[in-house]
Amino acid sequence: MAIVRRADPLDLTLAVPGAEARGATRGHLRRWLPIGIGIVLATGMIVMAAAAPLIAPLNPSAQYSDAVLKGPGAADRHWLGTDEFGRDILSRIVWGARVSLEVGLVSVVFAFALGVPLGILAGFRGAHVETAIMRCADMLMAFPTLLLALLIVTALGGSLMNEMMAIGIALTPNFVRLARSLALTIREQDYIVAARALGSGQLRLMVRHVFPNTLYALVVVATLYIATAIRTEASLSFLGLGLPPPTPSWGNILSEGRQFIKCCPWITTFSGLAIMVAVLAFNLMGDALRDLLDPRLKGE
Amino acid sequence: MIQYVLRRVLIALPMLLGAMSIVFFAMRILPGDPCVAMMGDQATTEALADCTKHLGLDRPLAVQYVDYLWRSVQFDFGRSLIQGYLVSEYIARMFPHTLVLVMASAVVAALVGVPIGILSALKRRSPLIDYPLRIFALLGLSMPVFWLGILLLIVFSLRLDIFPLIGGGDLDGVISMIRSGEVFTYPADFLAAVGSVLHHLALPAFALGFTLAATVSRLSRSAMLEVISQDYIRTARAKGQIERMVIYKHALRNMMVPLLTIIGIFVAIALTGTVLTETVFTRPGLGKMLVDSIGARDYPMAQGAITVFTMIIIVVNLVVDLLYAVVDPRITHR
Repeated sequence: MAIVRRADPLDLTLAVPGAEARGATRGHLRRWLPIGIGIVLATGMIVMAAAAPLIAPLNPSAQYSDAVLKGPGAADRHWLGTDEFGRDILSRIVWGARVSLEVGLVSVVFAFALGVPLGILAGFRGAHVETAIMRCADMLMAFPTLLLALLIVTALGGSLMNEMMAIGIALTPNFVRLARSLALTIREQDYIVAARALGSGQLRLMVRHVFPNTLYALVVVATLYIATAIRTEASLSFLGLGLPPPTPSWGNILSEGRQFIKCCPWITTFSGLAIMVAVLAFNLMGDALRDLLDPRLKGE
Repeated sequence: MIQYVLRRVLIALPMLLGAMSIVFFAMRILPGDPCVAMMGDQATTEALADCTKHLGLDRPLAVQYVDYLWRSVQFDFGRSLIQGYLVSEYIARMFPHTLVLVMASAVVAALVGVPIGILSALKRRSPLIDYPLRIFALLGLSMPVFWLGILLLIVFSLRLDIFPLIGGGDLDGVISMIRSGEVFTYPADFLAAVGSVLHHLALPAFALGFTLAATVSRLSRSAMLEVISQDYIRTARAKGQIERMVIYKHALRNMMVPLLTIIGIFVAIALTGTVLTETVFTRPGLGKMLVDSIGARDYPMAQGAITVFTMIIIVVNLVVDLLYAVVDPRITHR
């Protein structure tokens, strides 16, 4: 029987002169393009949030009674239209970036600060400590992020602080799990044995040797969870359980605009677009970082 | 095998207990007295005391806790504070709506997500195929289901007027016709009812299914990548097997095992998705019931809905774990 298996395309390109360089360029482009787009989008969002008072054309809470529910471009000053109170959608979206970014960053930092030490402790110490910590984490993992955040926000009441805490707690078990599994592999490494032989105590081992080695994987995952946190915040606000109005958060704008989708679809369209672009930015960045840093995928 | 099953069940039980405890205590620290919420600020002290006693809120917390656990196991969640009917009956009525939504969106997600995942794994070196597929997956992951839902409503319900704006169709009618056997006596009516259910289901199932398809495609892509790097694939290729046969006979079959574990994750994500999807499309179901009852401060309803959600997720994960052992017997020996 004739061998019909085709050679791998990669093998062929290597045989053609000059193809190697082209392939390398394409590889670079492929690796850096998503991360570039992610960084540009995320930086745009950060600038928008930081410079909201300068960028926003109008006051996000000011009500223009002469321009209620006006479409995009109407009356020149409302580029993305107005809502039922005559508030400028563009200004509200620009200010809404603050809420989303604040919730996204703070809740992930909260989850990181709470989850990583617990996870490293569990993975490094093992035995009862590990069982106790992991069972608690599993219990929280039984709830999907949104449901757990919803439960906590309902219990504590909707405010910026509570929302950040709720999403932070809901994300914590993910960090515990990852930090534990990383610590489990790291504790078997030679340099840990060496450090121990040199007389390092448990705490020093965990802080000086295990933690820095878990960092790169944790940062990648943290970037991805910023996206989850932003989406969860928007979902909570959409369900009416997030920040109380009139605070301009993207989920709030979208939720309020829902009643007017028949006449004025721009309110929901633009606020939803903002949510998507923000989530996309951090997803792209996290994905690209993972591809760059995960040695198993490097050959791909 | 029996040992493995027992071990899994023994892990699942404390998890269920813990999750239910979280629900109970979260509901107990809620701001505001449920009786005040129910009767209003104008209620007399006697009436409030009466209500507190009636709801059993005057008993010690430990007693209430044990009582809640015992009743939950029997699916007794008390009565709705606002409407007064039994929470368990209401859940039983809402459950089929959520079930059909999850199933329909699972079909959409599988039909779209699995082929895309496999294709992008196999064609990962040809940018013309891999790039669009990756962009699709990223868009699906980043697009909030409630926004996609609203966009679909704007286009297909408001502008084109093809699909209904709200409601879930006559699912109760379909179920009662099946139960009473009328399905055979009035087949035309039955088909009409099924048609109305599907008509109402199309947009929500597409919205939820599309966002889930992204997750499914990523998971099946990595499952496929893992399988094709195995030694037996190299062996199959080395012995001269046609590439198509390598994929169909060796890779696809083995890919199904890791895909099984996805179901657990999938159900958790899909159930969360129903909370948002049912709210956007104003569809009856457990998710909408949960959101509405939280909004109305109807604690027994909210507690019942969250408890049922948690139970479903834990039980599904347990079943998946057991199925996994059936499909891959090596698991039980680890």
